[in-house]
Amino acid sequence: MKLIDLSSVQNVHQHAGSYLDELCQLLEFDYASYATINPVSGDVQGYANYPDAWKLHYAKQSYHNLDPTLTQSAKSIAPVDWGCFEQNTKFTKVFKDAHDFGISDRGLTVPVRGPYGDCGLLSVTRDCSPVEWEKLKKSVIGDLQASAVHMHDNVTKTGVLARAISMPALSSREVEILQWVAAGKSQQDIGDILSISHRTVEVHLRSGREKLGALSTPQAVGRAIGLNLIMPG
Amino acid sequence: MIITIDSLNRHKFGSVLDDMYRLRARVFQGRLGWDVNVQDGMERDEFDDLDPTHVVSLDDDGNVVGCMRLLQTTGPHMLADVFYSILDGEPPLRSSRLWEATRFCVDTARLSGGKSRNSISYVTSEVMIGAFEYAQKAGVLDAVAVIDPVMNRVLKRSGNAPYDYVGSAKPMGKVTAMAALMDCSDERIASIREFSDIRGNVFSSEEEVIALIAEKSRPKSDNCIPFRPAKGSSGELQDYFVQQLRDANSPEEIVAVRQLIEAVSGTLSDKSRQALRRFN
Repeated sequence: MKLIDLSSVQNVHQHAGSYLDELCQLLEFDYASYATINPVSGDVQGYANYPDAWKLHYAKQSYHNLDPTLTQSAKSIAPVDWGCFEQNTKFTKVFKDAHDFGISDRGLTVPVRGPYGDCGLLSVTRDCSPVEWEKLKKSVIGDLQASAVHMHDNVTKTGVLARAISMPALSSREVEILQWVAAGKSQQDIGDILSISHRTVEVHLRSGREKLGALSTPQAVGRAIGLNLIMPG
Repeated sequence: MIITIDSLNRHKFGSVLDDMYRLRARVFQGRLGWDVNVQDGMERDEFDDLDPTHVVSLDDDGNVVGCMRLLQTTGPHMLADVFYSILDGEPPLRSSRLWEATRFCVDTARLSGGKSRNSISYVTSEVMIGAFEYAQKAGVLDAVAVIDPVMNRVLKRSGNAPYDYVGSAKPMGKVTAMAALMDCSDERIASIREFSDIRGNVFSSEEEVIALIAEKSRPKSDNCIPFRPAKGSSGELQDYFVQQLRDANSPEEIVAVRQLIEAVSGTLSDKSRQALRRFN
């Protein structure tokens, strides 16, 4: 999956909209939105590529206080399919209006929990048949999880100073594996070298990649070298 | 049968959660001797307030016989904040594709050995299948589970061996605790199903569980035909008591029926009362 790398742009806020556009295009959704709720103030900060008329209407009606896809989804650890809100009168109210703006009530929200009690919600929607929806969900759910955490980490880590002093906490196993990747070894090779399963290699690599805010392994290697965590291969 | 309970549906399953907290108290404080906080016979901690998902196994009578708690590793979780000694000073794994499983236990007092429906092995497998299928659907690829060596052995023997461990085992109460890695893959789920011979869907619908719990909380009395006293039902009541007296197997049971007759004699007609007193 190729997306704008939000951790390499100067201003996350300027690129958040394009990130959502690309996400929709790649994963075949109509619209996407991201919101984060400040754990202290309760303020909602968000981005969406919905039509402006709907965004305006949504804000005017203060639907963010009503919309269960925002208020409820944070309570789940798993992605929340909006189908579970079918009987929810608040949901019906918001999405009856949404329908008038050409926005489907078929969607889901991926909740991401951050280390400080912060929470981010990536929502996607698509007007399609139930069969098509289930198929789509199954094929993109992993990419959605990864995109949600990428967006959340980068939005909450904004500010030049915050980023300058943030040093990802990589374990020695994660560093060791990245070092072998930098040396050109495959996951299978690394498993053999370290006498661990290739699945263990993968789980540490995935974790290290996400901690570095990288979208791909080569990028993670580059970043780890930049941070003096590993030596160039 | 498995039900997943989180903060979206927990208002429907309050009594199931209470039962689960009681099971956890018996296992983690009682059997394993961990330093956990138990109040009113229930073991709860701060992670239960962080909206986790509980994977709960119920037996056919609606008793909680097994459970596991799931949290994202991107946010606060036990390996990062409580069990960090297991990690030997290393930072924890953090990934949107990795969940943490804690408080995994089964009711060894209620369950038997062997592989039958009510065995430790069956319920362990059922909880694991439920957790892995739930995680898979969420796009999660692996789980890191905090377990004790006994559970570790059970997993190894039931087609569900961890593929690796993080950090090293550390003393915790009477036993040690360790962090095991397991993939949420089709292969692993198939292997557990093969071993435990659990073929069908392990999940129950919310409606099924609600019905089961309602049935469980209804008062039951053994060995007697249920009746609903209604106006003018004196004849039925008389027949009922006659049946009870006939079926009585011991003098004690006869005394019990006689006491019941006296207790409800206000609802009986004079004729019935006299007929029953004469009955031998």
